Amino acid sequence: MRKMLVIAVREYLAAVRTKAFLITLIIMPMLMSGALLVEWLLRDYHDTKTKKFAVVDRTPGARLYPVIEKAVQAYNEKTIDPATHKPIMPRFDVEQTPPSTNTPEAIAEQRLELSQQVRKGELFGFLDIEADVLEVEKYETGKQKETIRYQSNRPTNLDFPRLIEKPLQSAIQDLRMEKAHLGVSPEKIRWIMRPTSVQAMGLTRRHPVTGAIEEATLMDRIAPVMVPIGFLVLMFMVLMMTATPLMQGVVEEKMQRIAEVLLGSVPPFDLMLGKLLGMTAVSLTITAVYLGCAYWAARQYNFVEYIPPDLLVWFVVFQAFALLMYGSLFIAVGAACTDMKETQNLLWPVMLLVMLPMFLMGSVLQEPNSTVAVGLSFFPFATPMLMILRQSVPPGVPSWQPFLGVGLVVLTTLLCVWAAGRIFRIGILLQGKGAKLGEMLRWVFHD
Amino acid sequence: MSAVTIEDVTKTFRQHVAVDHLSLQVPRGSIYGFIGPNGSGKTTTLRMIMRILYPDRGVIRVLDEPTNRKNHRSILDRVAYLPEERGLYKQMKVREVLRFYAELKGFRRSGPEIDAWLKRLDLSAWADKKVQTLSKGMAQKVQFIATVIARPELILLDEPFSGLDPVNTDVLREVILELRRKGATIVFSTHDMSVAEELCDFICMIYKGRKVLDGTLESIQNAYGSDTVRVQLDVPAKLDDLPGVVKVTDLGRCQELRLAPQADTQTLLACLMQRGRVHHFEISRPTLHDIFVRIARPGAEAEEKGHA
Repeated sequence: MRKMLVIAVREYLAAVRTKAFLITLIIMPMLMSGALLVEWLLRDYHDTKTKKFAVVDRTPGARLYPVIEKAVQAYNEKTIDPATHKPIMPRFDVEQTPPSTNTPEAIAEQRLELSQQVRKGELFGFLDIEADVLEVEKYETGKQKETIRYQSNRPTNLDFPRLIEKPLQSAIQDLRMEKAHLGVSPEKIRWIMRPTSVQAMGLTRRHPVTGAIEEATLMDRIAPVMVPIGFLVLMFMVLMMTATPLMQGVVEEKMQRIAEVLLGSVPPFDLMLGKLLGMTAVSLTITAVYLGCAYWAARQYNFVEYIPPDLLVWFVVFQAFALLMYGSLFIAVGAACTDMKETQNLLWPVMLLVMLPMFLMGSVLQEPNSTVAVGLSFFPFATPMLMILRQSVPPGVPSWQPFLGVGLVVLTTLLCVWAAGRIFRIGILLQGKGAKLGEMLRWVFHD
Repeated sequence: MSAVTIEDVTKTFRQHVAVDHLSLQVPRGSIYGFIGPNGSGKTTTLRMIMRILYPDRGVIRVLDEPTNRKNHRSILDRVAYLPEERGLYKQMKVREVLRFYAELKGFRRSGPEIDAWLKRLDLSAWADKKVQTLSKGMAQKVQFIATVIARPELILLDEPFSGLDPVNTDVLREVILELRRKGATIVFSTHDMSVAEELCDFICMIYKGRKVLDGTLESIQNAYGSDTVRVQLDVPAKLDDLPGVVKVTDLGRCQELRLAPQADTQTLLACLMQRGRVHHFEISRPTLHDIFVRIARPGAEAEEKGHA
C-alpha cells in the first residue's frame, strides 16, 4: 500500500507539475468546441464578391420581378458595414431575362442556356418563375409541384433563394387574392390563414422564493439536452487526457529502462496500481477544475438548478471508475508494446469500447428510458458515460440503477485491473518487439 | 546464515533453458561475483532472486526467507537491485529521484543520507539539477546511490562497472568494499575478470545456465592447478615438443605453456636450458580470465572434458 502511494504521488506530481498539463487544461475545451471557435473567428471573413442571378418571370406582365428587385435592394444596403463602409456580405445582382415562348421545349431550351451561363461562371444561379403560379381557377385539379425553381451548381449556398422566398410568397398570395375577387380584404384572409405552430416547452413551475407560478424559460428547454451532452463530452475528454499519457508513461518507462529499476523496489502489481491511482487523481483534478468552472458559470448566469449536486457526485464517482477501468486497459497495452507506434495496433479494441457511448449518445438521449438505452447503460464499459447521460436527462432514472451500474463497473474494473496486472508483469520486461493481442491473452491466463 | 540460497532452480523460456538446475549459496557479509559469458543466465538468476521472474522449479531463499507472494514486499525493502538496463526519470531532479527511491523502500527522512552519498560520489553540485543534464557516468552514479540509499542488507548489481571510467570504477569499488564493511552482502555480475579477482570473496561462473565454477578465487585456481608456466628465452624457439607441454600460447615477450596434469616442471626447466638462455621461468596459476576463456571459448567444452 505504501509503495503504491509513493508511486501514485510521483505520477500525480509528474503529470500535474508540467507546463503541458496547464496548456492542455486550457486548450482541450477549445479543441472540443473547435468548429464553433473557428466559425466565430472567421465570422468577419465572409466572401464579399458580388453574386449575379438571372430571373425569368413568366407570369403575365412579369409582376413578380419588382418584388425580387425590391428585396434584393433592401438586402444590398445591409451588405455594407455602416461604420467602416466595407462590404461584410456579398452583394446580389439580379437581372431580368425575358421569358421564352411558353412551350415545354422552348422553356427547357432556355433553362439549358442559363445553366450553361452558370457553368461558365457568368451567373451564380437563376430563378425561373412559371407562368401558372398566379393561377386561381384550376384549384380543383391543383397542380402540386414547385412552380418557382432556383437552379445553381452550388447547392449549399442558398442565401439568395432564402432571401426572396418570403417576399415572393406573400406577393403571390396578394396577387392571387386580387385575381380571385373574393370580396374579402387580403389582410383578413391572411389573418385567417396564419399558421399555428406547436411550441415545445419545459414544465410550468412555482418559483421557490416568491411562490409565483412561472413559465418554463428557454434554458429549461436547452439545458436538459446540453447538460447530458456536456457531461458525456467532459468524461470522454478527461479520459483521453489522462489515459493516453498513462499509457505513454508506461511505454517510456520501458524505453528508458526505468521499469526494471522500479521492479527492484516495487512488485509489478503495486507499480501498476500506483500509476493507475496517480492518474485517477489527475483526472479528478481536471474534472474538479472543469466542473468548478462550469458551476461558477452556472451560478453567474442563474442556471445552477440544471446541475443538481447529486448528479455532480455521481459524475465524479463514474469518472473515477471509468479511469480505473479504461486506464488499466491502456496500461496493459502500454506494457505490451515497446514503442509508441506499436500501441496504435493494440489500442483500437480499447478505443472502440471508449468511443461506444459517444456513438450511442444520440439514440440514448432521444429515449433515455427505453429498454435498449437501459440495457446499454448496464454494459460496464459504457456504464459510466451512458448512465450519467441518462441520469442527467429529466426526469432521471430509478435510483437503484446508478448503484447497480457502479456495482457492475467495480466488478469489471477489478477484472480489468487483475488482467492488466498479469499482462503488465510480463510485458514490462519485454524489449525489442511488442506483443500481439493473442499473446497478451495468453499472459493473462498463463501462470 | 546465507544471504541467498538457490536450490535446484530451473527457468525455461519457451524452448530455451536459461537456468538449468542451479544451486548456490551466497554467505552473508561476502562479496559474491557472478561471471559468465553473455546469455549464460546471470541476469535471469538475479531477476529470479528479485522475484521479477518466477523459477519453473526449485526454491530461492533470500535473507533466510523463502521468496513468495506474501513476504515479497517486506523482503524487497531489505534487498536492492541495480539492473543492467537502467534508466532514471529524466524530468526529475537528482535529489527528488533519490528521495523517491528511498521512500519506495520505506526509508523516510532520507535527506541527510542523500547529501552524504552525493558528497561521497562527488555529485553535490548536481543535487538540484534535472537528471537529463547529467553525463552518462554521473547518471550511473546516481543510479547506484538510488540502489543503496535505503541501507539494504543484500545488494544485487548487474554489471555495475560497465560504462564507467577508471576513476569512477575505483570509486565504486571502494564504495562496495565500504558497504561490505558495514555488513551488507553484495552480489554482482561482471565481464571484467580483473575486478572479480580483486573484489570477490566468492566467484560463481554460470555457463549455458549451469554452474561451472563456484568457490573462492583460490579454490578455483587450485582446482585448475598450477599447470601454467611462463617462460622467456633469449632466442625464439619452438617449444610445443617439450615433454609434458600440452599447449603453447605466444604472449609476445614471453610464452605461456600449459602442462599435462603429471608433468614435472624441473624436467621442463632442464630441457629449456638446453634450448637457450632462460631469462624468465614462472610457475603461475591460471588467471580467472584464462579459466573463463578456457570454459567459454567456442568448442571448449569437448577439450575441457578431455582435460578433466
